[in-house]
Parts: sequence; C-alpha cells; structure tokens
Amino acid sequence: MIDHLLPLLVAVPLLGSALPLFVAARSRTLARWLTLTVLVGQTALAVVLARVVFATASVSYDVGAIPAPFGIGLFADRVTAALALVVAGGALAALLTDHRHRSGPEYALWLLLVAGLSGVVVTADVFNLYVFLEISGLAAYAMVASARGVDPALAALHYLLVGTVGATLYLLGVGYAFVATGTLAMADLSVALAAAGYDSTLVVTAFVLVAVGLSVKMALFPLHAWKPEAYAAATPAVATVLAALGSTVAGYAFLRIVYDVFTVAFFEAVPAVRTLLLVAATTSVVAGGVLALRARDVRRLLAYSSVSQYGLFGVGLALATPLSVTGALVALVGHAVAKGGLFVAVGSVARTHGVRTVEEYAGLADRAPLTAAVVAVLGVSLIGLPPTVGFAGKWYLALGGIEAGSWAVATVVLASTMLSLAYVGRIVERCYLGRADATPPAGVRADGGLPAPATAPVVVLVGAAALVVALGLGSSALAAWFEPVVEGWL
Amino acid sequence: MTDVASPLPLAVVGVPALASVLVLVSRAHPDVREAWTVLASLGTVAVVALLVADDATHVTPLGSLAGVDLALRADAGGLLFALLASTLWVATSLYSVGYVRGLGEVGQTRYFAAFAASIAATMGVALAADLLTLFVFYELLTLATYPLVVHAGDAAARRAGRKYLAYTLGGGVLALTGVLLVQVLADALAFVPGGIAGLSVADPTLARVAFGLLVVGFGVKAAVVPLHAWLPAAMVAPTPVSGLLHAVAVVKSGAFAVYRSVLYVFGPETASDLGVALPLAAVAAATMVLAALVGIRQDNLKRGLAYSTISQLSYIVLGVALLTPLAAFGALLHVVAHAFMKITLFFAAGVIYVETGEKYVSDVAGIGRRLPVTATAFAVGAAGLVGFPLVAGFVSKFHLVAGAAAAPSGVFVAAFLVAGLLKLLYFWPIVYVAFVGRSEGTDPASRHAFAPPHADTRTASGSHVPAVPVAADGSGPHPAVDPGDADSTRDTDRDVAGATGTDSASRWERPRGLETSASLLVPVVFTVGMAVLLGVVPTALPFWELAETAVEEVFG
Repeated sequence: MIDHLLPLLVAVPLLGSALPLFVAARSRTLARWLTLTVLVGQTALAVVLARVVFATASVSYDVGAIPAPFGIGLFADRVTAALALVVAGGALAALLTDHRHRSGPEYALWLLLVAGLSGVVVTADVFNLYVFLEISGLAAYAMVASARGVDPALAALHYLLVGTVGATLYLLGVGYAFVATGTLAMADLSVALAAAGYDSTLVVTAFVLVAVGLSVKMALFPLHAWKPEAYAAATPAVATVLAALGSTVAGYAFLRIVYDVFTVAFFEAVPAVRTLLLVAATTSVVAGGVLALRARDVRRLLAYSSVSQYGLFGVGLALATPLSVTGALVALVGHAVAKGGLFVAVGSVARTHGVRTVEEYAGLADRAPLTAAVVAVLGVSLIGLPPTVGFAGKWYLALGGIEAGSWAVATVVLASTMLSLAYVGRIVERCYLGRADATPPAGVRADGGLPAPATAPVVVLVGAAALVVALGLGSSALAAWFEPVVEGWL
Repeated sequence: MTDVASPLPLAVVGVPALASVLVLVSRAHPDVREAWTVLASLGTVAVVALLVADDATHVTPLGSLAGVDLALRADAGGLLFALLASTLWVATSLYSVGYVRGLGEVGQTRYFAAFAASIAATMGVALAADLLTLFVFYELLTLATYPLVVHAGDAAARRAGRKYLAYTLGGGVLALTGVLLVQVLADALAFVPGGIAGLSVADPTLARVAFGLLVVGFGVKAAVVPLHAWLPAAMVAPTPVSGLLHAVAVVKSGAFAVYRSVLYVFGPETASDLGVALPLAAVAAATMVLAALVGIRQDNLKRGLAYSTISQLSYIVLGVALLTPLAAFGALLHVVAHAFMKITLFFAAGVIYVETGEKYVSDVAGIGRRLPVTATAFAVGAAGLVGFPLVAGFVSKFHLVAGAAAAPSGVFVAAFLVAGLLKLLYFWPIVYVAFVGRSEGTDPASRHAFAPPHADTRTASGSHVPAVPVAADGSGPHPAVDPGDADSTRDTDRDVAGATGTDSASRWERPRGLETSASLLVPVVFTVGMAVLLGVVPTALPFWELAETAVEEVFG
C-alpha cells in the first residue's frame, strides 16, 4: 500500500464520496459517520506520507504506470506531506464541528472537496492541477450554496463566476506554457522553460496568467471580493473548511509552480515580475487590514483578515530568500490552523447565542468564556505576537525581507501587526469589556431553549488554540521540517 | 562566575504562571484563590533568593523559536530586578487582598490571575538571556497587564486600555525591528556584558538605526517623553496595579530592557563609538525635567505620581546612557530605591481611596489626622524621592550625580539637581496639605498650592459629595469586609466622615485602633521600612552587591 500512497490520497476521498449518496437514503447519521471514517482514513494516510518523506526525501508516482510526458505524475516532498496533513486534518475537524444533519449529496461534496484539494497537493502535472483545482472549486461552490437561501445562492454564484474565471486564466497560462515547451509535467517543464528562455513573451505571459488565476483563488486584493460574501453566507462548518483549506491549497499551488516549475532563476531573469508580485502582495496586506477594520459582520472581518494574511504569504514567496520562503510556509500552515479555529468559534457562538456582528459580541466572555479565550489566543496569532506561530511566520518574513535588503517590505510586514491589532482588538475588547444586551439572542430555538454548546467544537477549539501555541514554540522544528525543500528551491 | 544548567530560572517564571492558572481554577473559593497568590509570591521570592545566594549563574535553555535559541539566565542584573519584583509582589499580594475586598471590586479572579501572569512575564524579562527571549516576555507582559488596566470596565478604562495597547504594542513592533536588525548585523542575540562582538564591527548607520529602534521601542514602556502618554491614562487601573505594575514591573521592564540594550547588546564602547548615547541621555534629561514640571500641576494624586514615575524612570535611563560605571551603578540602585519608595506612595494613595474615597489632593486636606501612619509613610517616601538622606533615594541619586559629574558636560548634573528641586515642589504641597490643612478649611493650606482645582470641587457651603467610598466601577458603597480588624471604631469614623456636615469641625477624626485594615497597612509599613533600611544601611540587602557585580561585568 505504501507504494500506492500518493494515488490513494486522492482515490480514497474520491471513491468515498460515492458512499454517502447511497447510505444517506437509509440513515443520515450513518452517512455522517461514514464520511468521518473516510476522513480519518485520509488523515492516517497523510501521517504515513509524512513518515515516508521524512525517511526518503521525496516520493514520485506515475499514475497507471504511464511515464511523463504522456502520463500524470504525482509527487510528494516534505511540503506536500505537511499540506496533505493540513487538508485531511482540517476537513475532519471542520466536519466534527458541524451540527447540521446534512443530506447525502452534501457529505459527498465534502469528500469531493477533500479529494480535489489533496489532488492539488500531490500532483506533479500542471494540467492535472487545474483539474483538481476545478473539482475542489465546484465542490466549494455547491457547498456554499447548500446553506439554502438567497444570500448563499448569490454568494455561491459570485464565487462560481469569479472562481471559474480564475481557473480559466490559470488554464490559459498552462496552455501557453505547453505551447512553449510541449510538456505538462512539472519536472520536465522546469527544464524546458529554461530552454525556451525565461524572458520570452510566451513564458512571461504564462507566468502572469497562472499567477493571476491562483491569486483569485487565494483572494489577493483586488481579486478578493468573493471571499467575504462566500464565508459570511455559508454554514459555519463550510465556512471553516473553506477558510482553513481553500486558499491554503491555492497558496501551496502557487508556491509549487513558482519554485518547482519556473524556479528562482525566472525571478532573476525577469525581475519586473518579482517586483510586481511584491507590490501586489504588500498592497493586499494593507488593503485587507483596512477593509477588516471597517467590517461589521465578524465572518466578513475574518475573510478580509485572510486577504491580509495571504498578502504576507505572497510577500514571503516573492522575496525568494530561504528565510522568507520558510516564513511563507510557516505562515501558511499557521494561518490555516488559526483561521479554521476562529471560524469554528464564530460559528459556535453564532449558533448558540445568535451573534453575528462585532457589536453583538459585546460581553460574550460572560456567556461563552472558553470560546472567548480561544478567540483571544487565536487572535494573538493573527496579530503576530509571541509565542504563537503567527509571530514565528512574521519573524521569518521580516528577517528575510531585511536580509534581502527590502526595507519597505519588512516595514510593511512588521507594521501589519498594528493593523491586525486594531481589528482583532475590536473583537476581543467587545467580548471582554462590552455589556451584553438584555434581549434574548436571535438564535433561540422555536421551543424556547438555547442549544447547549456541543463537545466537538470545544475540543476542536481548544486543540486549535493549543496547536497555534505549540507550532509557535516549535517553529524552529517546523522550519527545519521544510528546510530541505526550501534549500532545494533556492 | 560559571554558568550551570538548572531549572531554577524556569521555576522563577513558572511559579507565578502556575499560580495564575490555579487562581482561575479556584474562582469559586476566594480564600483559596488568595492563598494561591500569597503562596506563589512567597515561593517566587524563595527561588530568587536561592539564585541570589548561589555564586554560579544558573541557565535554563528554553528550546528555540523561529530558529533562535531562547534561554533564561540568572545573572546579577537580572537577579536584581527579579528579587525586587518578587519581594514587592509579596507586599502587593497582601495589599491587593485588602484593597479589592475593601472596595468590593468585581472580577477579582481575573484581577489576581492577570496579576500573577504579569509577574511571571516580568520574571521572564528579568531573567532573559537574549534579546528574543526578552522580547517574547515583554510582549506577554503587555498582554497580561491589559486586563488589569481595563479592570474597571467602563468607558474610561477601555480608552485607557486601547491607548496602552497601541503604545506598548507599537513600541513592540519597533523593538522587534531593532531585534531583527541586530540579528542581521551580528548574527547573535544573546546578552554579553559589554556588548555583542558583532555589533562593534557592523555598519555604523545600521547599528545606529538598530539602537534607535530598540531604545524607542523599549522606551515606550520606560515612559520616555514623548512616548509616555499611556502611563497617566493607565492610572485608571486599581491602585495596587498602578503601584506594582506601572511603577515597578511594567515601567521597570522598559527601563531594564533599555539597560540591557545599551550595556549588554551594544556595550559602553560601541555605544560611545556610535555616538548614540548622548542623544539618549539628552532625551532622558529632558524627560526628567519636563515630567517633573507637569507633575507639579496635578491635583489627582495618582496622576501626579504617574508623572513622578515618568520623571524618575529617566533618572535610570540617563544613568545608563552616561556609560560610566558609577552612573550605571546609580541607575541600578535607583531601580530598587524608586520601586520601594514609589510603591509606598501608591499604597498610601490606595489606602486614602479605600478609607475616604478621595482621589484629589485638595480633598484630603488634613488627612494626616485620620491616617497618621499612612501619611507619614507617604512623607518619608516622598522625601526619599526628593533625595533626602536616610531614605533609599539619596544613595542612588548620589551615585547618579557623581556619575554625571564625570561626564564631559555638566548639563546632566544640572538636570538632576533641577529635577530634584522640582520634585520638592511637587511633593511639598501634598505633604503640607495632608498634615497642616484642615478638611473643611478654605485657607490656602487646605488646597494644593500649584494645581488647578479639579472638576468636582466642593460646593460653596463646604459640604461635599458623600464620603462613603464608592468603588471605581460605580458599584455602591462597599461593605466592611476587612479580615482582621476592630470594625466598630472604623465604622464610627466612617459615619463621621459620611456626615455631609455643615459644621466646620474637621472631617477627619483620629482613628482609634488601626487606621485601616491590617492587610493594607502592613505592606505600607513594610515598603517604607525597606526604603529607610536601604537608605541607612544600603549594603544590608543583596541589591547593593548584585548591582556591583553587574557593573563589574559590564565595565570590567
């Protein structure tokens, strides 16, 4: 089985997605358990993959034993393993916190999403990446719409339109690259692109199209507008899984394409592209922060915060030094955990206490002390204060910026702390120092009782908070995990 | 002095941190909760005393964060600060119990838990072995003290909290930039007495920028003008918080971090080569004088003390910036002396508030009659801060001025003397009003000589808003829940005080029995006693020797 580990990572959720469709007709609970089991299996596979790449530097696989350039190759190194674990674990945790009794198709979509995301993570073929990107995208659009209602439907439509445009731009870029080189496998592409000449119009256009397409998926400013709508309209668990995983995998894909396909030599040959990326990323950092300051709905606020955080990731990617790329990876993983945890918390209090806007969060610490404490801890990671993983990411990014001589960039990275403080501080201050209204919350059930907070969200919340601190304290180990890959890239 | 690996430095940080958790857990049992705080404070002092007594330097490695090794190292300078903070925590714990119960404060669990967490962070700052460890605990200190600043929960407290966070975390961002620069320039962040080697050969411009960033970033907490505005605003916090944290732990952490940056990161030689110490000294001297000037015009007792703190902290910063062994020795001694004296003053202010509900100097004319021990302790502490002999402040100021005399320019000596004079002008009205003024009097002795009257001054008839003490968060009159005291006499006093009397007899009657609860009075007597002890026999406590050792390490 170890030999076929990589395709299993995709096949298990893909085939597993069919099961709930049949089972749900008999019992929705059984469908839920089935889905959870598949996700547990997926997590186990990811752990095994991590152990395998720890022992051997990387693993490759040709699907159907057809070698490139005709076949589809799969590839896993340490970065892949980390992301695969994040995808599997995140989807599992998010589903655990889901309180809705979903229909069979909805569970199927959940597994399809995981299949698509895992596929993006393990693939070594750029067109295959597009396919899995679209699979995960379609699943995501449908999951947003499954919340039923006008707002979710509109948000899903917006998401679909923008996402499809983005994916199409990516496809165009892949097409141009294919025209320039005649191959779609990442390993062969990197050689062939160099041969085709990095500064040729075709190659540069291919890169720009790919970059814009993936920036749409990552929701960098100004291609971000779909994100706040989608996250605010979706059900809490769907918002959680999308926030934690959707853009994370897109970011990973961007990283992989920049450093494994185009390689750092491309940046050296065409410095204008790198500058453009840096400018776009730093703009995103600032714009996302400013937009978050003005947001009233908490989930929209968190979505804008993601725009800012992915800007930081983009900065690390574009600086192209070992420290900055390490910072980008640490920030990517850390953000996935923190943002996922925050959406679980937000969803939990929205359901139990009916609060959705920052104003309504007044006095939440009295009603939901544990959740408020977790929000505070995860917020500290977003701000970037020690000893959380957010600080570690910022440290590497800023250090990388200074070492690369980009003072402006380093300043923006460090100053973003103050922006994040402003919008996170609003929420935390409201929670602890506000006075709650006397009127009963809107989330009261028809029978008049307040639903009790379930155990699963509590476990996930505490786990997220603990993980954020643990990853921070162990950030050196995390960086060391990524080091061989980063060294290979740069 | 050899380095030896040991868990004791971690224990110094861990005991208060554990206490914080235990306090949160025992929220339902107030006496158990208070016991944890007192026990933890005694435990922390014990561990620090162990470290002080041992000749070897204990080190605890703390793993690594973002590729940098973190560690705690109990060297002389760090132990001086740790011993000071832990000793004062014992006194403040006892005082806090009396204070919050005396006022019936809400959120007492959060208060004690945040207090313990703040002490843990302060210990971390004190014992940090390198810039990143210091920074981590420095930021944790900000986070831990925020709940204490906003304790009252009203709009003023929230505003003060936001100001506090904006200033201190903003300073943190600047300090982090400085830390990063040092890492880039010298590839080392560990403190070396006399300076990190790599910095002396680094690019001077960048080194100056790094120095500036570190000093400005840490200078926010050290309340150097113009970064000081958070401190008077933070006085909305309960008095024990103001006392220990904003006169000892938080601001001293800032001053201590500046001390570490100047003498252990850059070192005296590099700092003077780069020419950065003189601007710092100038800013510190200006702060000393300006803050003292502003303080004179404050009628609010705690705000005035805040400005006094701002001024006194710059004594320490100036002592460090003068880059001579004598001045640095004076600065370290002043860290200790000022702490004991200033906390006495805050304790006294708190007793006045608990017993009478008054916050303004003009309203406590003649309080010496009602609270003789407290007012005397205030007067003694004030005398020490001015620099009268036999109180701790004289010894430290003597060394500071002597150190300044050796500097090329005489302007710093002048600054010390002018600031001392201004101090006198600041404290004298308060002491005078307290002892000579009469509470319902309209004579000049019953008003603060220099400060404009505050907003809710007395009505023409001389009667006053009810003197039944009201807690800071607006909750009603407090119950008499002091643990160990003969309540009848105090109730009588309070009844007399509560009379909105139109008679011209003084509001303050001499107390029969203890003038306030024991848990409030004992800490006041303890801290002022220590201040006098340090003034009369400075070498009696370990601080003298620790300061000597630290200065020897740095200057050779």
